[in-house]
Amino acid sequence: MEGLLFWFCGSLLLLGGVMMVVQRSAVVSALWLVFAFLSAAGIFAVLGGTFLAVMQVLVYAGAIMVLFLFVIMMLQGPVMDGERRLMHPALWPLIAAPPAAVLIMLAGFLRGDRMVGFAGAPAPGFGSVVQVATLLLGRYLLAFELISIILLVALIGALAVGRGERKLPWK
Amino acid sequence: MEITLTHYLVLAGLVFLTGMVGFVVRRNALVMLMCIELMLCAVNIVFAAFSRLHGDAGGHVFVLMNFAVAASEAAIGLAILVEIYRRRRTVNVDDLKTLME
Repeated sequence: MEGLLFWFCGSLLLLGGVMMVVQRSAVVSALWLVFAFLSAAGIFAVLGGTFLAVMQVLVYAGAIMVLFLFVIMMLQGPVMDGERRLMHPALWPLIAAPPAAVLIMLAGFLRGDRMVGFAGAPAPGFGSVVQVATLLLGRYLLAFELISIILLVALIGALAVGRGERKLPWK
Repeated sequence: MEITLTHYLVLAGLVFLTGMVGFVVRRNALVMLMCIELMLCAVNIVFAAFSRLHGDAGGHVFVLMNFAVAASEAAIGLAILVEIYRRRRTVNVDDLKTLME
């Protein structure tokens, strides 16, 4: 069952990613990315992270991608029409090298017998809201508080950038 | 065939690769930002897979941290892009070479 779900969600995730890169229109790209994120939520669910799967749908596929779509549709015209051209064709072999290396590496992994299996099914309650929240507000409390500072800084930064030509209060 | 950690790592590697190639090939700054989000998503899968391997939900906590980082990055990146668009009427990175000149 886990195998079936893994192959289903994994292939959909890869499909979404590839289609996002291939599509020329930014709106269509964003919609394919939403599709990819929903598939990733499925992968999290297969891995036992039910809470993560819910957050992936709410935060990524919901909030972040809505922000992206909002901006894309706000900046109409040249942004919506797609790209005149992609990267200069002469540079293509250059960027093909690292992907080729990675693919060869992955092929080696899959061929060998050194697969690391999971030790049985996850313990009951693994990845549940209770367990994640206990860690979040216990062992990782400092990181949890620090992340709120990152969000605050991002909020202030986005406001400062978005003010445009107008004078900033501290100038 | 049993699904092992290696399967998840290979999947994450391929997703990361897709995002990386997209980031380099595409010229629309908005799509480039979306490719970064896809790469972050691949990293999250690795976190969750290792969390499952060790039976410790600590990896899940850091995936949640990653969500916050991704949200901040998207907010600031999009704010900068909107500002660039207001001034230059384009988000094509080929047309934005001020720093290069």
